[in-house]
Amino acid sequence: MQYKFQFSKILLSLYASLILAVFYFPVFSTAVASLSEKRYFSFPYPTKDLTFRWYREALNSAQVRTYVFTSLKIAALTTILSLSIGFFAALAYARYSWGAQKFFHKLVLLPLFLPQSVIGLALLLWFNFLGIQPTWWTAAIAHTVWIAPIATLIIAIQAYSLDHSLEEAAADLGASQFLILLRITLPLLKPAIISAGCFCVLLSWGNFALSLYTTGADSTLPEWLYARMTSGYQPIIPAIGVLSVFVAILAVTLTFAILARAKNKVKV
Amino acid sequence: MPKTGFLFSIPYLFLTACFFVIPLLLVIWFGFMPPKTFSLWQLPTFTNYSFIFSQAYIKSLGWSFLLAICTVILLLLICYPLAFAMAKVFKSSATFLTYAIAASLFIPENIRLFGWVIGLMKNGIIGGTLKLFGFQTDSLLYNIPVILLGMCYVYLPFMLFPLVLGIKMIPDQVREAAFDLGASPWQVFSKIDLPLSMPGITIGSVLVFVLSIGAIAEAKILGGQAIVVIAADIETEFTYGQNWPLGSALSTLLLLATLSLVFFVLAKINLAKILGKSEH
Amino acid sequence: MQQPLAGCSPQRQNSTTTFQNPNFLEIQDLTKKYGSYEAVRQVSLTVNEGEFFTLVGPSGSGKTTLLRMLVGMEAPTSGVIKLKGSVINNLPPNKRPTCMVFQTLALFPHMSVGLNVEFPMQIRGLRESERRTRAWELLKMLHLDPNKYYEKFPSQCSGGERQRVALARALAYNPEILFFDEPLSAIDAQLRKILQKELKDIQRTTGKTFFYVTHSLEEAMVMSDRLAILRAGQIEQIGSPHEIYSYPKNAFVASFMGEVNLLDIVGTGNSFAFWELRRSRFLIHLPETLPSEQKAKLLIRPENLRFSSTPQASPANSLPGRILNEFLIGSRKQFHFEVESGTILTVERLREEPIPTPVNYVYWEPHESQILNS
Repeated sequence: MQYKFQFSKILLSLYASLILAVFYFPVFSTAVASLSEKRYFSFPYPTKDLTFRWYREALNSAQVRTYVFTSLKIAALTTILSLSIGFFAALAYARYSWGAQKFFHKLVLLPLFLPQSVIGLALLLWFNFLGIQPTWWTAAIAHTVWIAPIATLIIAIQAYSLDHSLEEAAADLGASQFLILLRITLPLLKPAIISAGCFCVLLSWGNFALSLYTTGADSTLPEWLYARMTSGYQPIIPAIGVLSVFVAILAVTLTFAILARAKNKVKV
Repeated sequence: MPKTGFLFSIPYLFLTACFFVIPLLLVIWFGFMPPKTFSLWQLPTFTNYSFIFSQAYIKSLGWSFLLAICTVILLLLICYPLAFAMAKVFKSSATFLTYAIAASLFIPENIRLFGWVIGLMKNGIIGGTLKLFGFQTDSLLYNIPVILLGMCYVYLPFMLFPLVLGIKMIPDQVREAAFDLGASPWQVFSKIDLPLSMPGITIGSVLVFVLSIGAIAEAKILGGQAIVVIAADIETEFTYGQNWPLGSALSTLLLLATLSLVFFVLAKINLAKILGKSEH
Repeated sequence: MQQPLAGCSPQRQNSTTTFQNPNFLEIQDLTKKYGSYEAVRQVSLTVNEGEFFTLVGPSGSGKTTLLRMLVGMEAPTSGVIKLKGSVINNLPPNKRPTCMVFQTLALFPHMSVGLNVEFPMQIRGLRESERRTRAWELLKMLHLDPNKYYEKFPSQCSGGERQRVALARALAYNPEILFFDEPLSAIDAQLRKILQKELKDIQRTTGKTFFYVTHSLEEAMVMSDRLAILRAGQIEQIGSPHEIYSYPKNAFVASFMGEVNLLDIVGTGNSFAFWELRRSRFLIHLPETLPSEQKAKLLIRPENLRFSSTPQASPANSLPGRILNEFLIGSRKQFHFEVESGTILTVERLREEPIPTPVNYVYWEPHESQILNS
């Protein structure tokens, strides 16, 4: 029995490693391709072809910079909107019980279960009907429709484990509803809000399907990459790809660092 | 405090009402407008729908549906053992796997797909490696299995994580008791694991189905011209085609397919429980 | 509410002295319904100023619901709560001059011990220097060295220390009444005894009115001036620990106090009653008369039962049987005496007391038993 269990554990570990290898194969390929000098990539390439030229071009390109800036603007607005809506929605979702709560639970999930491209074009029709020219901030609204539910769910998980008696104790000690929210609920949910913020930034940063219809004349980095990819190979694309992986790693590391500091301070 | 809950839900309700529900209703309405118009105030007609069913569009819908089903089945088979290992067998490496796979969600989907293009194209990473060993291969891209690979690859986390959550909900002692009562591993799997992890299986399957039926990038980037999926048709109608009513009608069909499934699932699943709400 | 600090108010010499205000907290016909279920049923009681009052009841008796109504976290269905003569039913918890120590203690995990204690004073808008001085005084009073504990987080404190922090925080609010929701239930027996005495001391030195809720009658007996016993949402008996112990009003109160013998008896119209068992029937001499055919319970404490080899002369009641088991409990010995299969009486004797051989009977004097309503 013991032996059999060990055996299946080794088998499962092998399987997990295989999946992880396949999972990161494209990232590896992109990194390899990004360092090749040649305009037409072919593998293997001689070491004399190794170059950082495409990274330099990507970083120096004014065009790329514009797309990055648009993407960041959208991510920032999306994060602010999603966190402020999501904080209250999470409390409505998990903390208080009220009449239509069951319905609300389903309403929070619904946007996540619909094709993003349909949500995007629906908003395109709607903005057109309202006479609003689609631009970067309409894209941020589209992102928020899909990302605010995710922020809500992440904060709700922690709101569920919130000890009700803490808020009751604060009320009992004389704090008003507003003060309880500010001094007790908000600080206790801070870790979840930080993680949710990280999700918001990154999901908005990488989103393509929603941006496709809602950015109008503006264009995000993923949109631009898609347009380039469908029109054939270009050596600058892998370089940008690798750079955006670094952005993601940076954001996640930063979040973890902030969370670790917050945890150290609270010492829960 | 019944009023506070409602009060706090208002911003979200406003967001969903204004930028989700109304726009979707608008799409449905627009599908009944005469072709090529941009105005909303025309006599409703079924022209778009009869046009769709007489043309190749129905084939695109079929392809999307088939690809989505295949993706769900493949991912169930691929993810269940891994999810089981992460929920019940691995300890610290489960956390590592979770982060490693979740981190990929933060890399734009298009870039990850493009990595496969580099890997699979003629003289790409795989082709080039095979050539070193003397196998001459042409491009491995632009066919249906590659599209499936891309979809499985992109949507794997959406199947894996619900499965892990679902399997974690199976109490260890129930499984041990079943073994103790003489059940074989297969019997434990079919009689204990599978039914008890059903919520996770359902959520994962529906999530993957819905995401892949609306997918566009995989078929375009990896599949080239191999097949046309419904989302690509919709994009064409809204961009080059400039036929918004037709695009809306196609979207309505896509919505119909997903909503019927989603309502079924949302009615059955108690997400609050899965998220860790303790029952009083 | 800017009154002198709790710890500085005049000392209360003895808990048995008459209280300043006998109707400090008044509860009249308080009822709480959840749908058709009545959690609390027409409870009326008064608490005197400066008193240590305890509400005892088994789990599910409605004591937590009653407490939550008194603190303002639950709205009563009907009834009146008066504090110092004015109705406080509709005051929200943050406007009520009452304060509760929670079962979970509810210390704020993201604030240090010092900030926890200062929280209510900060809400009230006290200056920082003033808050700090008071927090230090309170921590000192509760035997927590402020130099050591002010900066600590609740998670770094032991169970007993956390208990004291929670009490300090509640006192910092300077409430008219302090409520306690079983705060000692999660603490091990030894420390609990120490904390019980400490709590009683604090109550005496501060002169505050304490309203304590617990499921442990033992705890209530140790600390309280008076206690009320709650069962299924209704008050069974109110009185001093001595009154409740000596004169339990009914069988529930008696059995709640621990292992006692309760015999189901039927009256005969004089000072005798029948104790009906499955196979036998005994005629029992009662301390007083019981109407004919009336059913009642006869309470006999284990320490009032004695063994003998032969039946005792009237008026003592003797019952035949045999010893089934014996247990050593500290300085006493407990016996299970079987009168007939399935009917067991509990007998307690001192450990060193000789037991007659052979043991054929137990007996007791009628005046050592009490007739109770069933």
